[in-house]
This record gives sequence, structure tokens and C-alpha cells, in this order.
Amino acid sequence: MAQPGIGKKTNTKVEDQSSLKGTLASVFLLGFFLIITWVGVYFLFLDRF
Amino acid sequence: MHIHKFEKIWLIFGITTLLVFLSVIGVSAFYLGNQPPSCLATINPEKVDTTAPFDKPGLKKVEGKEWDYELVFVASAFAYNPGQVEVPKGAKVKVIATTKDVIHGFEVAGTNINMMLEPGFISEYVTTFDKAGEYLIVCNEYCGVGHHMMSSKIEVVE
Repeated sequence: MAQPGIGKKTNTKVEDQSSLKGTLASVFLLGFFLIITWVGVYFLFLDRF
Repeated sequence: MHIHKFEKIWLIFGITTLLVFLSVIGVSAFYLGNQPPSCLATINPEKVDTTAPFDKPGLKKVEGKEWDYELVFVASAFAYNPGQVEVPKGAKVKVIATTKDVIHGFEVAGTNINMMLEPGFISEYVTTFDKAGEYLIVCNEYCGVGHHMMSSKIEVVE
């Protein structure tokens, strides 16, 4: 039997638009990447003469 | 003005990182006295062969200075003078180099000694050779058809 589409409830989850969790994580990932590579190169510099 | 809590966190993190990096440069330059290899010392490029210390290239022991030896190199198309030199391990050496003709590079592969040699300017670098071995010196500034064959060697011996 055909079911009418109208009236069917759909559950769409809406993320909170003001959530910046992902942005915070990406910023810190980039930040720590820069710091780790910088420190790595610095210790390479110290190790060589 | 409303600033999100997370935005405050990464702004503080970013500004702190920037300040740390800038302080490192400041301490390095003004406290430790680090400077570019070619720093205001000049020479007449046409009279390199008759100007001290470039009239006698090679390793020389010196007294009363912060370093024990001076290692003088003259670069020209397409060779370094001396072509090979021995340095005792542990010696504190001031490497002094210049060029007679065009711009050459002076890179001691695998070390921090990496300078540009410009006609008219003297490049210097003070370091302690504390690891024995053979170190290849290569030209890393394209200087002409023989560029790839331009090399020298430092042997750090016990």
C-alpha cells in the first residue's frame, strides 16, 4: 500500500552553529606541528658543528 | 565585543608562540652575537691573492684570539684553494673565505657551515670541529660551466 510522504517525520540533527571545537582542534594540530618541526630543526642545528 | 572562549585560547597560543620565536632571534643576535657569515668585512676582489690572510690559504694556528685556528679559503672558478685540508679534532676554528671572481657557495656538507661568497666581501664562521671524519665542501651557488666539479675537502683527524 502506498504511503503518503507528507506527515512523515524526519530526524535531521542540526549541529550547534557556534561550536568551534573542530576549529580549535585544527588550530592546535597546526600549532603543534609547527612547534615540533621548528624544535626538530633547532636540535639538528645544535647537534652539528 | 564578544570573543568566543576558544578564539581567546588560540589567540593567546598564537601570540605566545610568535613572541617566543621572536625572542629566540633577539637572544641569538644581541646576546649570543650571532650574525650573517658576511658581515661588513670587505676586500678588493682583484687583489685577493696579495691581501692577508688570503695570500696564504690553509690552516693557521693563531694565538690570543677566541679561536685556536684560522682556516682560510679562496674560491675561484672552478676550485677552492686549498683543495684539501686537515683539521685536528676539537679545534676551535674560524673559517674565513672569499671569492676572486663571481659569487660562489661554501657548504661543508652535513655541518652548519654554509656561506655565500660574494666578490668584495669576506665570509666568516666560527665553529668547533668536534666530530672526526671527512667533510666535502661544495659550491651551492651556480657559478658557471664547471660549477658541479667545484669541491674541496676538510679532514677532521684525531
